[in-house]
Amino acid sequence: MKYWTQRLTMVLALMLAVSMLTFASMNVLGDPLFNILGPISGDRKTPENLVKIEAAEKQYYLDKPLPERYVRWLGDFVTGDMGVRFAATGQPPVTELVKERLPRSLWLVFMAQVLALAIAVPWGVWSASRSNSLANKASTVAAFGFVSVPNFALAVILYYIFALKLGLFPLRYDASASFLTRKTQLLLPALTLALPGAAVYQRLLRTDLITTLQEDFILTARAKGVPRRQILFRHALRPSLFSVVTIFGVNAGGMIGGALVVETFFGIPGAGTAIVEAILREDFPVVLALVMIIATGFVVLNFVVDILYSILDPRVRS
Amino acid sequence: MRSEGRTVDAPPEAPSEFVEEKTLGWGFWLAVGWIVTVVGAAALAPYLPLKDPQENFLIQGERPPYSPSLEHFFGTDQDARDMFSRTIYGARVSLVVGFSAIAFGLLVGGSLGMMAGFLKGWFDRVVSFLFLVLLSFPALVLAILITSLLSRGLQTISMTIGILSIAPVGRLARAATLVYAERDFVMAARTIGAKNTRILLRELLPNVVIPMGAIALLGVAIVIVVEGALAFLGLSVEKGSTWGKLILNGTGTRVLESAPWVAFAPICALFLTVMALNYAGDRLRDYFDVKELSL
Amino acid sequence: MTDAPLLNVSNYSVGFKTERGLARAVDGVSFTIGAGETLGIVGESGSGKSVLNRSIMGLIASSRQIETGSVLFDGSEMVNQDRQNFWGNRIGMIFQDPMTSLNPVMKVGKQVAEPLRQHLGMSKRQAIERTIELFTNVGIPSPAQRTKQYPHELSGGMRQRVMIAIALAAEPEFLIADEPTTALDVTVQKYILDLLNRLQAEHGMAMTLITHDLGIARGRTDQVLVMYGGRVMEHAPTEELFTHTRHPYTEALLASIPRLDHKKHARLTPIPGAPPNIVEPPPGCRFSPRCKYAQARCVQSSPTVDGAEHRYACFFPVGTDAGAEALASNRAAGETATGLKMSHFEVDA
Repeated sequence: MKYWTQRLTMVLALMLAVSMLTFASMNVLGDPLFNILGPISGDRKTPENLVKIEAAEKQYYLDKPLPERYVRWLGDFVTGDMGVRFAATGQPPVTELVKERLPRSLWLVFMAQVLALAIAVPWGVWSASRSNSLANKASTVAAFGFVSVPNFALAVILYYIFALKLGLFPLRYDASASFLTRKTQLLLPALTLALPGAAVYQRLLRTDLITTLQEDFILTARAKGVPRRQILFRHALRPSLFSVVTIFGVNAGGMIGGALVVETFFGIPGAGTAIVEAILREDFPVVLALVMIIATGFVVLNFVVDILYSILDPRVRS
Repeated sequence: MRSEGRTVDAPPEAPSEFVEEKTLGWGFWLAVGWIVTVVGAAALAPYLPLKDPQENFLIQGERPPYSPSLEHFFGTDQDARDMFSRTIYGARVSLVVGFSAIAFGLLVGGSLGMMAGFLKGWFDRVVSFLFLVLLSFPALVLAILITSLLSRGLQTISMTIGILSIAPVGRLARAATLVYAERDFVMAARTIGAKNTRILLRELLPNVVIPMGAIALLGVAIVIVVEGALAFLGLSVEKGSTWGKLILNGTGTRVLESAPWVAFAPICALFLTVMALNYAGDRLRDYFDVKELSL
Repeated sequence: MTDAPLLNVSNYSVGFKTERGLARAVDGVSFTIGAGETLGIVGESGSGKSVLNRSIMGLIASSRQIETGSVLFDGSEMVNQDRQNFWGNRIGMIFQDPMTSLNPVMKVGKQVAEPLRQHLGMSKRQAIERTIELFTNVGIPSPAQRTKQYPHELSGGMRQRVMIAIALAAEPEFLIADEPTTALDVTVQKYILDLLNRLQAEHGMAMTLITHDLGIARGRTDQVLVMYGGRVMEHAPTEELFTHTRHPYTEALLASIPRLDHKKHARLTPIPGAPPNIVEPPPGCRFSPRCKYAQARCVQSSPTVDGAEHRYACFFPVGTDAGAEALASNRAAGETATGLKMSHFEVDA
């Protein structure tokens, strides 16, 4: 129990540090006033401009010192109010934008992880159960290739083959389509994110499985007449999943980063494109909100991975 | 007699008694050969008999892009510019960013990590927490965050990506230092009264540098990919062309459909280089028994 | 012995291809076991006793393995055949180390239920009930709760009882117990061995009991096979082997274990040297480099396993005139024909 309390404290401390860093860097390095009002922000001599500036300063608390603004922002953020957008002068509020954009990205990353595991587990089990064959060497090379191919390059390649040449997928994402159609539209982008992840999982799983298959309890399972398939999936797989679970969180981070690229390329209006647009327009409240959400999700996910670990291995529990 | 050895009784399924002598293998040298070729071509590009990457080789009566031919090995892009020389010139920026970023990461992250591992105490705790904070951002998110706040010159882009590599490199350096700081030769140096700086530089650095070198190759690969991703998002260097920008240039649906070589020439160059760096780094890491790197 | 033995092994050899040549892990072994009988297989580490049993069962999944000879189980030939149908179903197996032989991430009840469902086609419910019965039968207290526990929550003795329950689940006709008590505390050893004997009698099972401890074999087996370097050294009905030991290796094994009827502070005699290299075995008798009876003849040629009821492979058997002469001449020379100093053996004198 003490361990979990410590871990939780650490997560909270990390989140605070991340938010402070993001908040401070945006306010110090950027110029919020300029982003709200445009060129007139520097002109305090014209009285009508000065009125606008002061009104804006009041509205966005820009006249208050940085720490106070941070605390205000943090208070609002944890209560679900992410403020207003700069670029569209407040409309719609950031919270609304996040609500609209984030689910698409979550679906994308979720589908990518499911696909990655769905590919990696049978692939890893297959390659561990018959090592040394020629097909296996080819699969090792393929795995290495997938690990090395950058996701923007993979996006282009898959798009070229499956969407352009074979016509299996639509060329553009259509946000107005039905729920099911929208999910099938996410399939190709998800595959782009999934393949490198699958290759990473496969390599880890294969190594661990080969070790597990040499354990005594596998011999016991064979001696009691458990069929080969069942030995692989029921006995050997679970104790071989630790490395995969460990890397799961890290990989999710990579997939979130990859989602920025993939969403942009496939034209999916998700959180990734929202960040990129917001950065290009210097719409800091949007960037801040999304960075915080992503970082929180990332840290929480790694916390969940820790818990998952103890479920996988009963020995850790006691 | 009670401790009947399982090792002896176990059937010789794997010839464990023959420990293979560690070698880097021919694949490693092939990878190194490719890296040397690419780096060499990029460095010497202005002196090689290459076409001007900016010149438009328009042919009367035909609309570019032109498909690959003896004249243009990789074809041309929509503006009839030679893709072969553009790909080689593109390597220049990509590689400069790649190597300088990882150098920055090694310098900052490496020294921070070594000091943390050596001094321990509060310094270690602060630095370790800092690394964790940096690792809490998904790498690409942090990268676009920084590039959006700063200008997009070559140095800033390199530094930005360099900052990303601080945490993973630093953690590795710290771990390696912790291991070596317990070794006899450091203890010996301490007992004869060597100063901390001397121990760090003369005793620890040479030992930590070897695993870091193996990591550096993997790091360069990751950095090139990150730069490509930034370029792809329109956030990389504003002047000059990188592989990422070249690929982006070829990915409009119309160009990709009619002239796939515009995108695929730089994709192949990038992919082969990243794979060579990964493979060489992987082999070196195995060779020197280095663990843990993720970005 | 009955006319149609359950297991008939004749001239059975197992080799492994290695970089240095063929490793003869088992070399020309023959024996038979009748229904309900117990065979003890005794030898040091590396004597080939475990490989022998695992190969008979076909459990060694290695493309380097080469099997020759014949193994008839209930009349059907097993050598070079797929023996998967026998596993757990007709032949059960218990391994040495209950710490590593049970799946660490699976509840023990489920591990016992697996063969029940596999071989006896039981439903989940039936399997659970049967598992609890089996646990009661092997002496596991509060069996219902135990089924829901993981191996790491049980003691070594409990785990070995679980292993026995697994091996017996599908009521096999033949049980191979591979050093079932080696990894256990001495206090638990006797319990497990008694349990095995009781269960064997109840089910009318045949059994091979593999051990490095001759003392375990005595009183619990019908016949004993002594192995060394992959070969049979001596093979006899248990009481005959102990009362009329013929092979110097058997004698040496007996001298190396403590016995209750030894006088206080009596020295045990270790066997000098190490088990032989099976890849390039020395010519002649494999035990000769460590044997105090060794003569020139032992180095030049290899004795065959001769005899009917009591078989042994030795030119100068213990308890015969030839053996006594050999020992006397070695004593006089101060060393054996293989250059072993006789002083190694005289610590007890």
